[in-house]
Amino acid sequence: MLGQPLVGACLAGAFLSPGTPWELWALRIPLGVGVLLQLLLTDPALPAAQRPRDAATAGVIGASIAVLSLERLHPFVPLTTGGILWVLVGTLSGLLAAVGGGWMELSLRARNERSARRAEELALEGKIGSFEALYWRGVARIFLRGATWSVAATVLGVALASLLLPRIAGLITGPRAGWIFAAILGVAFGAGFQTHVRAPRHGFRWAAIGALVTLLVLMRLHAGGEL
Amino acid sequence: MSDSDPLAAPAAPVPGAPGPGAPGPAGAAVPGVRGIDLVRVESRALYIQALFSAERQQGPGFAFALLPVLRRVYTTAAERGRALARHMGFFGTHPVLSGIVLGVVARLEERRAQGLPVSELQIEQTKRALASPLAALGDPLFWVTLRPLAGLMGVLGMAVLPLADTAGPDLRVLVCPCLALLTYNAVAIRFRVAGVPRGYAMADDPGGLLRSLHLAELRRFFERVSALAFGALVALTLWPMVQSADPAHEGFAHKASVLAPFVLGSALTALLLRRWPGRSVEIAFAAALVALVLSSRF
Repeated sequence: MLGQPLVGACLAGAFLSPGTPWELWALRIPLGVGVLLQLLLTDPALPAAQRPRDAATAGVIGASIAVLSLERLHPFVPLTTGGILWVLVGTLSGLLAAVGGGWMELSLRARNERSARRAEELALEGKIGSFEALYWRGVARIFLRGATWSVAATVLGVALASLLLPRIAGLITGPRAGWIFAAILGVAFGAGFQTHVRAPRHGFRWAAIGALVTLLVLMRLHAGGEL
Repeated sequence: MSDSDPLAAPAAPVPGAPGPGAPGPAGAAVPGVRGIDLVRVESRALYIQALFSAERQQGPGFAFALLPVLRRVYTTAAERGRALARHMGFFGTHPVLSGIVLGVVARLEERRAQGLPVSELQIEQTKRALASPLAALGDPLFWVTLRPLAGLMGVLGMAVLPLADTAGPDLRVLVCPCLALLTYNAVAIRFRVAGVPRGYAMADDPGGLLRSLHLAELRRFFERVSALAFGALVALTLWPMVQSADPAHEGFAHKASVLAPFVLGSALTALLLRRWPGRSVEIAFAAALVALVLSSRF
């Protein structure tokens, strides 16, 4: 569960604070990135039928790129749209990282098969200690691969953002960023609909009940002046 | 053991079965599996997918997790090595439920070491007979239903909890992931912790063991909660969007134009994912591109 994009993005945001002036954005932007990636990267298919996506590192990479770029590039790309631009940068980077990480996963599995063959040989030779050591190295490899990929992709992402964003700063306007953000938010909700409503039996009925009850509560609160 | 409590404490060893210290094939006393061995198996089962591959899936992880038991019941390195190698082949089930199979196999290996008539083939067949239905029931419960629901609870946390005071930190950054982690682990941790002892205790009744877990019922319940929560999320998202779409009261056309990217993006994605499941990343990039082009025109 630590591999969920929302969890990774929020943890990255909490740890990667660019300083007191940015504290609020450093927390809100990763949250936005994490929410969008969570909805976009949740695949309702069984694991064997899923496309190879590394959702675990996507949240960390997306949030890190957004927060670190925000700090470096704010003189060139001002925050006129309430951080929406940086949420977009983080989300799109996270999606790219998920695809790249998925490809790396395939190579890791090939490596695992070689390790498994060696582990079997060690077991047959009665070298239990060596077998265990080999397995623990496999565990360490997963963490190291994730950490290395997260750092490398973040550095690459921040470098690319530093290179590209100042050049297209004139094109980045509030309404334009708003349109793209709204479209991606829509895609995220469409993906969420596929996962939570269409896939389960009687999903429509339960979703309608949930929406209706929430609307009634909101209208009640609104009428009472609490919203 | 109560059938209504899926994860009650393990029952006492089966009467008639040799207890700890029973004589093995060569007449030497074979130590029985201890509680601490089962705890070690549980903790190692957390890493069962570390050497995951298409050919063997969790086979190496299964052997690695079972090692504390094999160390206890087999006395020589050669015996341990042979037993370990037997478990290195293909094994695939849901990782959270793997402890149940590990518990059953631990019991069978213990009996085999004690000289009871338990063949290698019998152990392998029992392992496979349990692994397949646990995968068939566990994957839809944990991967397809509970994990998305856990993420959704985190997302819902963001929509429900008010914004923090601008002077203080936005605590949602901690609360939302905690909600996701708690939702998933409230169910998964119980299966992780109780799986091995449960499998060990019910090794003689695999059918009863599977039925007693109530996995299908749990899945149906979480599916409904998931749909309900998504409906609530849609309402919580659309309400402020509609409220704030037309601050200058310019009319319905203005409101529709503001909400159009979101509504169109949702509807088209729902349609496209029906045709191309799992392509949400590609659809997101296409949507961003289309929105960029349209925003330049209007």
